[in-house]
Amino acid sequence: MKRLWTIIEKESLDNLRDYRSWVTGLFWAVFGPILLGGLILLLGNTIRDRVNGSITLPVQGAEYAPNLITFLEQQRIVVEPAPLDPQAAVIAGDVNVVLVIPPGYGESFSAGKPATLQLVFDSTRQSAVVDITVVRNLLEGYSEYIGALRLTVRGVSPEVIRVIRIEDVDTATPQSQALVFLSMLPYFIIFAIFNGAAPVIIDATAGERERASLEPLLINPLPRGWFAVGKMLAAVPFALVNLLVTLAGFAAIFQLLPVEELLGVQIRLSLDTLTAIFLVCLPIVLLACAIQTLIASFTRTTKEAGTYLPFVGLVPALPGIALAFLPVKPDLWTMLIPTFGQQILINQFLRSEPILLSNVIISAVLTLLLSVLITWAAIKFYENERIITGK
Amino acid sequence: MIEVENLSKSFGKVRAVQHVSFTAPDGQITGLLGPNGAGKSTTLRMLYTLLRPQDGTARVDGFDIREAPLEVQRRIGVLADARGLYQRLTTRENIRYYGRLHGLGGEALERQIDRLIDMLDMRAIANRLTEGFSTGERLKVAIARALVHDPRNVLLDEPTNGLDVMSTRAMRQFILRLKDEGRCVLFTSHIMQEVAALCDQIVIIAGGQITAIGTPADLRRLTGKDNLEDAFVAAIGTEEGLER
Repeated sequence: MKRLWTIIEKESLDNLRDYRSWVTGLFWAVFGPILLGGLILLLGNTIRDRVNGSITLPVQGAEYAPNLITFLEQQRIVVEPAPLDPQAAVIAGDVNVVLVIPPGYGESFSAGKPATLQLVFDSTRQSAVVDITVVRNLLEGYSEYIGALRLTVRGVSPEVIRVIRIEDVDTATPQSQALVFLSMLPYFIIFAIFNGAAPVIIDATAGERERASLEPLLINPLPRGWFAVGKMLAAVPFALVNLLVTLAGFAAIFQLLPVEELLGVQIRLSLDTLTAIFLVCLPIVLLACAIQTLIASFTRTTKEAGTYLPFVGLVPALPGIALAFLPVKPDLWTMLIPTFGQQILINQFLRSEPILLSNVIISAVLTLLLSVLITWAAIKFYENERIITGK
Repeated sequence: MIEVENLSKSFGKVRAVQHVSFTAPDGQITGLLGPNGAGKSTTLRMLYTLLRPQDGTARVDGFDIREAPLEVQRRIGVLADARGLYQRLTTRENIRYYGRLHGLGGEALERQIDRLIDMLDMRAIANRLTEGFSTGERLKVAIARALVHDPRNVLLDEPTNGLDVMSTRAMRQFILRLKDEGRCVLFTSHIMQEVAALCDQIVIIAGGQITAIGTPADLRRLTGKDNLEDAFVAAIGTEEGLER
């Protein structure tokens, strides 16, 4: 046991002195919070502009439909003269949407025939979608309003042409939009854990082989598997530090940024939530160290290890990206998949949803079991002489 | 004492070592001599328990390398073919790490490290990071960490490889000193002159097999050649490995 500690102590000291590599690892811990903070600032400002500002609508041929223009202006639309070539202006991205009123509009309108209006827009431009929808809805509202007046004049109740009425019951709160961001959090947390451990593991396994110090090391009178375990455990503190830093980073982001003002919702990462997330992530720390130790032990150079390990960290983080778009219920099967279960649990903690203790335990036990299994495989590999011959 | 019995090892179709047997007694220097690729390093790697023999075995101070590898490891000090150091650790830290892995510690370990640093004339580099050390300096650190637990049996794989003339002389003095301390010294070399100058017993190995074994005088008599150089050529069948 004392000699296992000797290995951990040496690897820690050795890697602490290699400040370049652990600073690189640490970079991934702050990367998530910084990226998320940037996204919140960016989207927050856009949302605020939408809510507060009025829409500017370039109109061509405004003189043909003075009543329509008055109606639009009453609905907080700022009407301005359209550019000479509306289509070119939309394609160039100068304006989001242009209303074109043809000269024959007044004539058709007076004759009681459908009067044609043109909306020029690019439906693939995400930033224009809100403007397009608002303008279209207003125009349809105007059409309905005039139609109803015409029927009334003819002594017909407008209700006759209203076959159905749709009532929108939208359960999305302003909060759900912000929660899309929160769903990315588990992804960043897991990525930070993996990348905290990676530099240490690469140096202790592939690096040991590369600098030709593995062979003399293994001649020391210890069961060979201990070296695998020692190297794995040496990476744990580095992964833990990354986990703590990244959690602190997220807490700081939500503390420092005026999230409520930007997104219209309050997100609080209380100390309790942070502690819960930290505890749920502990088995992942072991898994990250174990799986990376096993894989890096097979590689011959640090360069080779450096090309594989980032993918290893990406794989368990992928469900986190999916979670941002596809909500998954915290069913039992999800808890059976190591790292996936934890990501769902982290999401639940963030949303202050009720959490089943059994889910927490099942996901932790399975992740730990997998870690032990992988560690065992690493021990077996170290006991095999292939670790020396490299074949 | 190291007793080797019928040791054999193949890598795929390549028979690296075949039926090698010899005994390296305490207080003597045994040289394993042969051209590159003769099977010297593979033999040594089996002796220091890193490779498992396919057939045969060996005993170090009576402990079988297959059955009691940890006991063997405690009794051997090894300068392996791979002698990489930890570049971000100092000389002293490199040696201390191996000492601790042998279960040593505290004052006793520090005194032993001091002794080795004095013996190998490393005081100037004792507290420097080993990054940028010369070949000779790296070799000294590698030897010191191999001997930190004061082993009775010392195995050296090509100990003078890459050294300049002065360092080679110092290395040879050091090997003689290990012998005078009563240790069993087994070293490999592909340089005939080196083996001739140092060894009490020479084991000539070629193509994975022992072709001749004995004292320098025995070898001369055995091959019917007057000088050892000719005896060596006769034993391995080529002139490869002669230093000119």
